[in-house]
Amino acid sequence: MKTIALLLLIAASAAAHHGYAAFDTSAEVTLKGTVTDFHFVNPHCVIEIDVKDDKGAVQNWKAELTSANHLAPKGWNEGTIQPGDALAITGYRAKNGAPSLWVTKIHLANGQELKIDTSN
Amino acid sequence: MSLFALTLLAQLGLLAQTGLLAQPGGEEGIPVNDPLVIAKCGTCHARDERGNMQRISFERSTPEGWQEAVKRMILVQGVSLSPAEARSMVKYLSTEHGLAPEEAKAVLYDAERRIHRETTIPNEHMDHACARCHSFARVLSWRRSADDWRQLVAEHAMRYKLPPNEDAIAFLSKAAPLHTPEWDAWHKLARTPDLQGHWLVTAALRGHGEYYGDMQVDESADGDFTTSVHLTSVEDGLRFVRSGRGVVYAGYAWRGRSAGPGTGFTAPDHVFSQAREALWFSPDGSTAEGRWFWGQYQEFGFDVKLRRATDGPALLLLDRWSLKAGSQANRVRLLGDHLEHAATGDLNFGAGVTVRRIVSSTPNEVVAEVDVASDATPGKRDVSFRGSAIRQAIGIYDRVDYVKVMPDSAMAAFGDAAHARGYQQFEAIGYQRGPDGRLHTADDVELGPMDPSDITWSLEVFYAKPGASTDFVGQISPSGFFTPAQKDPNANFDVWVVATAKNETGRNGKPLVGKSYMVVTVPSYTLNGRRYVRDLDRWVDEGPAQ
Repeated sequence: MKTIALLLLIAASAAAHHGYAAFDTSAEVTLKGTVTDFHFVNPHCVIEIDVKDDKGAVQNWKAELTSANHLAPKGWNEGTIQPGDALAITGYRAKNGAPSLWVTKIHLANGQELKIDTSN
Repeated sequence: MSLFALTLLAQLGLLAQTGLLAQPGGEEGIPVNDPLVIAKCGTCHARDERGNMQRISFERSTPEGWQEAVKRMILVQGVSLSPAEARSMVKYLSTEHGLAPEEAKAVLYDAERRIHRETTIPNEHMDHACARCHSFARVLSWRRSADDWRQLVAEHAMRYKLPPNEDAIAFLSKAAPLHTPEWDAWHKLARTPDLQGHWLVTAALRGHGEYYGDMQVDESADGDFTTSVHLTSVEDGLRFVRSGRGVVYAGYAWRGRSAGPGTGFTAPDHVFSQAREALWFSPDGSTAEGRWFWGQYQEFGFDVKLRRATDGPALLLLDRWSLKAGSQANRVRLLGDHLEHAATGDLNFGAGVTVRRIVSSTPNEVVAEVDVASDATPGKRDVSFRGSAIRQAIGIYDRVDYVKVMPDSAMAAFGDAAHARGYQQFEAIGYQRGPDGRLHTADDVELGPMDPSDITWSLEVFYAKPGASTDFVGQISPSGFFTPAQKDPNANFDVWVVATAKNETGRNGKPLVGKSYMVVTVPSYTLNGRRYVRDLDRWVDEGPAQ
């Protein structure tokens, strides 16, 4: 039966290779900052964003979204977010304290919300 | 008909609906006239007086699609076939029930075994219905009658306990119908391909640069083809011969194998490696493109282009990707065929670029010195030699605005007793932003791979502390070649592959940095008693764990 199953190609997409396990989904936080880079890639798109803390120190965060395959039908592409863009990003923080976030909402500086797909 | 097939059809309610032969949608089938297919498939797939065989006459696919179908019939339905019979059936079905060249080109990346960003999946229905398990190219490698799509979706629903999906049926029936103008036109004209003769070749291998040369194709007595390819590296001048064999399906789809001389090399990306070949010949038979690939996950491969050799000049490659505005006496090598006796007036590099002099000229190479005006407008230029042109051959720029690491998303794998490691070669590509002033948009100017000596490569594991060792994941060489760790840590890791420019800086004065998102995976794993094995960018259920 091994080969039969192989040929039937019951496969799971590697684009869903990790879920929310690394993130604390019990509470959302919102970061406001300036984009330093945007990666429109699989398995996850990532926004790199500089965020100032209460003391003015800048920390670079990585905000993860779903895959490029899933965002493309919503009109996203490599140039959708540009370095220098001011964003407010809401999401779940990494459990281990790393400056990483699973994104649930993105707002532009003018308050417009970008359509995203929150699947992993 | 086997008990399995009868049971399946009965469960689908098809016996009553179809009487096995008729297509309720009324679509005309494609008659099957091959005695072997009739003999081997006719027990289950009944054939009517018009030659239509159930299911088979209402489907078209690529060689890979039919090969998969024939394998499934052997393994699931117990069809007995010799290897020669199986090859013959795949060749017949791929040719008489194949795809038109235009249809096949859209899914060529599947045959080429490329990890491809599939951003054209039309909606969430299709994503959930198909693309969660298959590449979308695998789905669109088939054309079916509306009723056959309905049967396929019903089979999936039954087998995988999925809800009925009318949206998927409607989409597929419209997007991938059995009859298309492209197929009807191609099938009428399809002929035995005449590929014999002399071809000019260019081939690019990530991390190794570009190659040029020629290929002799000869038809063998059995109708297959033999090849002898002479290649020369643009980068280091290495010359070698690759020899191979190939088969052509449907008049344009080349599938073959080739290898370089000897076996005494150990580098997994060595240019002599034995490779599988998937090429797409243009309908007029004058050009071809595709990939020669190898590796545990087909992660290595030449991107290949062929064109028929003629008596006229043919410009194939330049040894430079870009020239800086204001630069003088740039030495550029132009490689091709019938390039002898070149004069400055034979060459055209486009606006703002002047050919100062010809340094040397042979039938296969011209060396020219060119000047670029300081006010030359940044952008791509065509380069031509006596009317033979390369589109967008060279980029004129005045600064490097960003670095892109390619592939920008990648996979590598640890090895185990049954699976070799999966490697990955990266390149840092320079870009200048275009007139719109934005990064990563269509008007940006690609400047080509940056010199490895100008790049520092490093790895960053997601969620790890800055500066923490990454050796447990693997190592990246100064030339951007990633080798997974020898020891499988029994976990997957998301990793940034970082290219930091040594000389180019951004507007903020900091070195330019490019990143690729790489997932380093285990080669296989067990979940809920089943064994999953990595295949390209997916996990395949291999059945119950032993």
